[in-house]
Amino acid sequence: MTDAVAASGLGKAFGARQVLQDVSFGVSPGDVVGVLGKNGAGKTTLLEIMLGYTPPTSGGIRVFGHESLEMPGDIKSRIGFVPQQDELLDQLTVRDQLRVIASFYARWDFALIDRLCTEWGVDVNARIKGMSVGERQKLSILLAFGHRPELLILDEPVASLDPIARRQFLEQLLAISADGQRAIVFSSHIVSDIERLANRIWILKDGRLDWQGDLDSLKESIVRLHIRGTGTELPQFRIPGVINVRRDGAFATAVARDWTPEAQRALEKSASVQIEVETLGLEEIFLELHR
Amino acid sequence: MFILNPQSGIPIYRQILEQVRRMVASGQLPPGTALPSVRDLALRHTINPMTISRAYSILETEGLLERNRGRPMTVASQAKNHTQLPKRLQQIGPLIEQTVVAAKQLQLSETELVKAVRQEWENSDD
Repeated sequence: MTDAVAASGLGKAFGARQVLQDVSFGVSPGDVVGVLGKNGAGKTTLLEIMLGYTPPTSGGIRVFGHESLEMPGDIKSRIGFVPQQDELLDQLTVRDQLRVIASFYARWDFALIDRLCTEWGVDVNARIKGMSVGERQKLSILLAFGHRPELLILDEPVASLDPIARRQFLEQLLAISADGQRAIVFSSHIVSDIERLANRIWILKDGRLDWQGDLDSLKESIVRLHIRGTGTELPQFRIPGVINVRRDGAFATAVARDWTPEAQRALEKSASVQIEVETLGLEEIFLELHR
Repeated sequence: MFILNPQSGIPIYRQILEQVRRMVASGQLPPGTALPSVRDLALRHTINPMTISRAYSILETEGLLERNRGRPMTVASQAKNHTQLPKRLQQIGPLIEQTVVAAKQLQLSETELVKAVRQEWENSDD
């Protein structure tokens, strides 16, 4: 299967400020990639480079086989984008705004958008000027869905949506990705949404991809360990991939990032300790990686 | 059919693996029972379909589930055999190994450990 996106060694600097450094990844059809990172970690810049909005200062990126900066129109029309800040035209009604965007594309799924307008409670007669932030966000999402993109890029798409609207949005994203032909890359601070939807996770930290891989593997490899010795004092030992460790007499608590059952057995034997493994949810993992 | 918690530290495919294994072993899912399709399960629980496919593939490799062309996966007719004694013993193996290591560290004798296990066994009978 050819990659929808392939990037290697991406770097981006604004003047002296290095925003991205040595970022490499691939996105395959069927993937739902959740992008996590603190404010200012480089998420938006990364997504904008994928869209060809801004050139990387180093490295290369290809989208559907084309350099992202030189994508021809027919390649661009296979991409959908929901920006963090909407680009709606205040003076238009929802219906007119939908028409304007639909006119840019050779194919537009009017039936899908009509159905979603009804399901999501978007009033096509409303004037955009008078709409709430949440309503505007719903409309921005609809505008990115109508041409049935093969690559959907979403930058904080749901920050202003209520839990019910967010769930409807997630269900629609799942329906879109269910045929295995489309790829979705979305950044969000709502970790529980990413935890439901994503099969792959990118954790951006200080402009670098600190962790990337399957969500399943992430949960299996980053764990909290509760270590107990047999005496009153814990022996000295080294935990592979340790992020932090706190010793307290005969006990220790540690977080490790490359944990395996083999590592556990080896450490238990060599250090004569007992280890209890506590698995962590995605939010905890994210916090631990930023301690 | 499944109780799935996406926020848990246990990956969803593992949650499915454990629940199917348990339900097959206990006879709650007799051979021939159809499982929900990956798509249905993903949409019903609002979770990524790949983690579900992964669980189903592992269960197929283990011989617990059978793939049927154009129809839902079913519990294998041989499933009972796979959950016979050796398989189940293999599942509890790591826990036994851990217990034995701990017992030796605590300088317990084999007899003392076996006695303690027997006591625990009797106490936990409901």
